[in-house]
Amino acid sequence: MNTSLLLSQILNGVVTGMLYALMGIGLSIITGILNIPNFAHGAMFAVGAYLVYTVINALGNFWLALILAPVGVALLGLVIEYAGIRRLYAAGHDYQLLLTFGLSLIVTEGIIIVWGPVGMSQPPPPLLRGGVDLGITIYPKYRLFVMVMAGLLVLGAWLFFEKTRYGAIMRAGIEDKEMVSLLGIDIHRLFTAAFALGAYLAGIAGALTAPIRGLNPLMGVDMLGIAFVVVALGGLGNLPGAIVAGLMIGVAQSLVALVWPEASVAVIFAVMAAVLLVRPQGLFGIR
Amino acid sequence: MSRAWLAVLAAVVVLPLVVRHAIATEIWIFAIFGLGLNLLLGYTGLLSFGQATFFGSAAYVGGYLLKHYGTNVFLVLALGVVVGAVSAAAVGYLCVQRSGLYFIMLTFALNQMFYFTAYQWTSVTGGEDGMPGVPRPRLFGVGLDDSLAYYAFAAVLFLLSLWVMTRIVESPLGKILVAIRENELRAEAVGYDAARFKLLAFVIGGAFSGLAGVLYAMLFGIVPLEAIGFVFSGNVVFATLIGGSGSLYGPLIGSFVFIWLSESVSVMWQRWPLLLGVAFVIVVLFLRGGVVEAWARFWSWRAGRHVAPGTAGDAP
Amino acid sequence: MTLLSTEALAKSFGALAAVDGVSLAVETGSLHSVIGPNGAGKTTLFNLLTGQFAPTSGRILFDGRDVTGTPPYGIAHLGIARSFQRTSLFPALTLLDNVWMAAFARHPSWRGLVWRRADRFPGLADRARAALAEVGLDGKADRPAREISHGEQRQLELAIALAAAPKLLLLDEPAAGLSAEETRRMVALVRTLKGRFTIVLIEHKIDLIMSISDRITVMHFGRVIAEGSPAEIQRNPEVRRAYLGGVAAP
Repeated sequence: MNTSLLLSQILNGVVTGMLYALMGIGLSIITGILNIPNFAHGAMFAVGAYLVYTVINALGNFWLALILAPVGVALLGLVIEYAGIRRLYAAGHDYQLLLTFGLSLIVTEGIIIVWGPVGMSQPPPPLLRGGVDLGITIYPKYRLFVMVMAGLLVLGAWLFFEKTRYGAIMRAGIEDKEMVSLLGIDIHRLFTAAFALGAYLAGIAGALTAPIRGLNPLMGVDMLGIAFVVVALGGLGNLPGAIVAGLMIGVAQSLVALVWPEASVAVIFAVMAAVLLVRPQGLFGIR
Repeated sequence: MSRAWLAVLAAVVVLPLVVRHAIATEIWIFAIFGLGLNLLLGYTGLLSFGQATFFGSAAYVGGYLLKHYGTNVFLVLALGVVVGAVSAAAVGYLCVQRSGLYFIMLTFALNQMFYFTAYQWTSVTGGEDGMPGVPRPRLFGVGLDDSLAYYAFAAVLFLLSLWVMTRIVESPLGKILVAIRENELRAEAVGYDAARFKLLAFVIGGAFSGLAGVLYAMLFGIVPLEAIGFVFSGNVVFATLIGGSGSLYGPLIGSFVFIWLSESVSVMWQRWPLLLGVAFVIVVLFLRGGVVEAWARFWSWRAGRHVAPGTAGDAP
Repeated sequence: MTLLSTEALAKSFGALAAVDGVSLAVETGSLHSVIGPNGAGKTTLFNLLTGQFAPTSGRILFDGRDVTGTPPYGIAHLGIARSFQRTSLFPALTLLDNVWMAAFARHPSWRGLVWRRADRFPGLADRARAALAEVGLDGKADRPAREISHGEQRQLELAIALAAAPKLLLLDEPAAGLSAEETRRMVALVRTLKGRFTIVLIEHKIDLIMSISDRITVMHFGRVIAEGSPAEIQRNPEVRRAYLGGVAAP
């Protein structure tokens, strides 16, 4: 085992971990405010990736795609919430959950119909090709970019929640919806905004992932379980928790991939199970 | 004998005359699966989104034993139940310690763990291709290869399962689970360790799922990877909610609806999961619990004392 | 003989000391009231006694044993039953089933938990009906709990506690939200329970407290500021001070 490979893998783990954290944060927002685990969250991740692919092939510009694709996913989220979930308030959370589940089936199959069942690759933009010499190892520029980008997004999310008024409303909404609506805030707009924001984060995570992992129709489904793991470990609405949890499983996955590649995905869930055995309340939960 | 039981017996007798034997068998197998889930969902108020874990695990174990060792059918069934129960105990132990949203997410995540394990462990499970070559067993020396014979076998096991579940929901445990659903704090204050009881419900649900899984493997002669996947988990939730989680017989109705739906849709198009998803969305959006609840109430009225109070519309 | 006692029992939520070093002793067969302005920590005290929260420090002794940290279901099995200030029932279950749950929990044997039909447990249904009769609700035994009036729900709240045949009854404002007539009935009911059970009672209705209690503990800001017989408490200047602005002492 040479140190160059080891460092590369750890960095890979950090990159994927940051993306996992982004997924967890987005899921946390939707789940915390709407009170349903969003089973379409993975699908939105996949749509983000496939939209980036489409826009790049149509317009030839990665940066434009990176801006447009997540917005597209956010709009999708808006439509889902407004036309679907909102209409099921009376029926209850179980039905809203089923709706997101049904939508994930539709999206996964829809992707196969439009883009085919075979995985595709998406090269990084010319600016970010090649590697950077870090001394111990040469690391792909694009992955460093993703690390920075994800970090900025997480920071942005943190600033939004801690420093802005709307962010405070959202945090309050996660804690106590009744109180929020009693304070005169339109709870329906809050729900829609939360869903769109969560969708945006899933979309941009997907958009960033495409040049790293490529695209395949099942990428959303795979990611959904991982997003759930991040939230279960980190705690709903706990932003630092999502980061710690994401990094933990990302690095664990990368390191295991070095010695036992077949188990690298299952290890994510195994780590979750192990942590929960010792701390049933998650990493940061209170008993 | 209650009118509901008469109706069920009638359905069991008439069904193979009306639809293909394999579909009829599938309906009762799925009903067993649904009964297990409904103990958790309808009675205890726990939405488990990972029941395929227990269904699939039992199917793989049962299928493997039948395929490689020609194990006695009763032993296989018993082992299926045990595998379902034990895997549910392991998963349940982690899940019941968290409530509501976390519980749902954990059942799903642990389901994924089993799924990925099955996916990778190709030497045993066949991975993506599934485990083909599961033979029909012999029952008292008689082969069950004939579709009607297997239907009778599965139907009898279904009736047995229904009877067992009826006993369970009418027992003190049934009431305790409803009490925990209605007011967990009070149930604890009155002397019930809620986590223990939830785990018990989980294990029983797992046992039923395991039985269904083994029967499924023997029906189709193959254990597909999907049997342990999240779509299966979602299907049984859909079926149970649509049938009406507020009654013992809801899963039966739901099984009819779901199997009919998925069979109709699967012959239309190769991309039929899309249509299934569309069907989910339409049913969920437009029935919105309203019509279904009325239907469930109709069945509950017919079932008389077999009502578990609590509606499908209540949040877990 | 002391049935229940606490030693410097304390519970803090972050910086807030909800219960701050409470030591009290309840004699077997007595009716011991806990009074104090809103926020004094009375319900938190009950939550500590029933194991809903673990105390930050201090001990709880029941029947000679240290039961600190026992979870709620364990407390129930020790013979401590509680009624809640905010009505806490099983809405979808019938009144009979609501009390039956409490009675079954305390049944010495749970054999047949999973397979015996619930109505085939001898004696339990009788115990349950007796508890309902005690509070005057046996006529409505088969109605779902969510369909009865608020006043009747408060009675059911009490019946659930009684059905457990407890050694110690913790009653948290049984008369909360009741009309004058309903309060009179509740008072009469509590009077019939006095002597048959050891009772710790939280109440705001001072005339009820004064006329029925053997001993009174007065709490304020989580601490005990006075304890004694009703007469002693009435004369206590600290108590009067604490109540200015709150519920006035007569």
